[in-house]
Amino acid sequence: MEDLGVGIGWRSEIDLSVERMAGVDFVEVVAENLHTDHLPESLRVLRERGVPVLPHAVSLSLGGAEPLDTQRVEHLAAVARLVDAPLVSDHVCFVRAGGLDSGHLMPLPRTREALDVLVANVKTAQSIVDTPFALENIAALLEWPDAELTEARFLSELVERTDCLLLIDVANLYANARNLGTDPAAMLDELPLERLAYVHVAGGVEVNGVYHDTHAHAVPQEVLDVLGELCARRRPPGVLLERDDLYPTDAELAGELASIRDVLAAHA
Amino acid sequence: MSREELAEQQAALLRALLAGGEVPPGFDAERLRVEADALLAKRRRVVAMLRPDLPEALGARYRELFDTYGRAHPRHVGTGMRADANAFADWLRERGEISAPPKRSALARLLRRRD
Repeated sequence: MEDLGVGIGWRSEIDLSVERMAGVDFVEVVAENLHTDHLPESLRVLRERGVPVLPHAVSLSLGGAEPLDTQRVEHLAAVARLVDAPLVSDHVCFVRAGGLDSGHLMPLPRTREALDVLVANVKTAQSIVDTPFALENIAALLEWPDAELTEARFLSELVERTDCLLLIDVANLYANARNLGTDPAAMLDELPLERLAYVHVAGGVEVNGVYHDTHAHAVPQEVLDVLGELCARRRPPGVLLERDDLYPTDAELAGELASIRDVLAAHA
Repeated sequence: MSREELAEQQAALLRALLAGGEVPPGFDAERLRVEADALLAKRRRVVAMLRPDLPEALGARYRELFDTYGRAHPRHVGTGMRADANAFADWLRERGEISAPPKRSALARLLRRRD
């Protein structure tokens, strides 16, 4: 995996900020928010400057047991071609089932059967998209009963069987530690970090004892600490800040990118 | 377990979270409630973003009214978020919570045309 550096999630609400900000080595776009016939001006400018643009999908429902919606995969493939992407990604989750759309990323049962379904769907998606695929761990507020595999084992086998890359979200590791009592360090020990594509960092907020990974609040020090744990094991090829709402000033965003660089420098 | 059985389990979980369905066996009811609230809150935020005229018109009652609407009308596959937001506006109008169709400014129309 080539070195991506430090990046930020491109959103139309902060397009100028992202364009002007110093030290943005790469950006990520939510694939579903782009049309396949034209690029927003700001992304065109970034591409002209040589900044890599990585499409990130949120709706493929790759862990869903219903037939894969290949039109959504085709859209991702078209967006990847449009931005000449080195890599695309989606999540280890399901989104839709039984005619209902959750509008969010739902956890999978960590069973052999669920893994088989996910592997089959990822292979189908890989056959449609001519770009390397990375899959991301999600933050969950609930767990399925009767897990047969740890999350790290589940992800490791997914990587082995599909040859996909990993997009590790350290904010999600932190959220799961807070809400489900999981151990981020133990999970990082077990993950095949040599297959790491890049890392997500984001902020959240605690409400009534539950930590919500909102992407709308400042990045807590604890999330940067998990990033540090990861960097202590292996230097990530890239780290990307996700901010999706309640946008702060450009200076605050730049400050969060600087904090990420500090963590990377501390483990260089 | 077959792929169909897994599909049914996933559907049962979404019914419990979005459509008032029963808590499937083995799940923690309290965690499901927290997740259901989080999903509804996300949908409420997105609708407010797409139709800022609605929270503006409803003020402090936006949340309660949206939650009533949202629980009774889970979003189905094929219904986009914009259609969901407009369906909420129709629902409000039918109940007399808002009056005439909201006016859109000339600028908003212009911006929408670029979508």
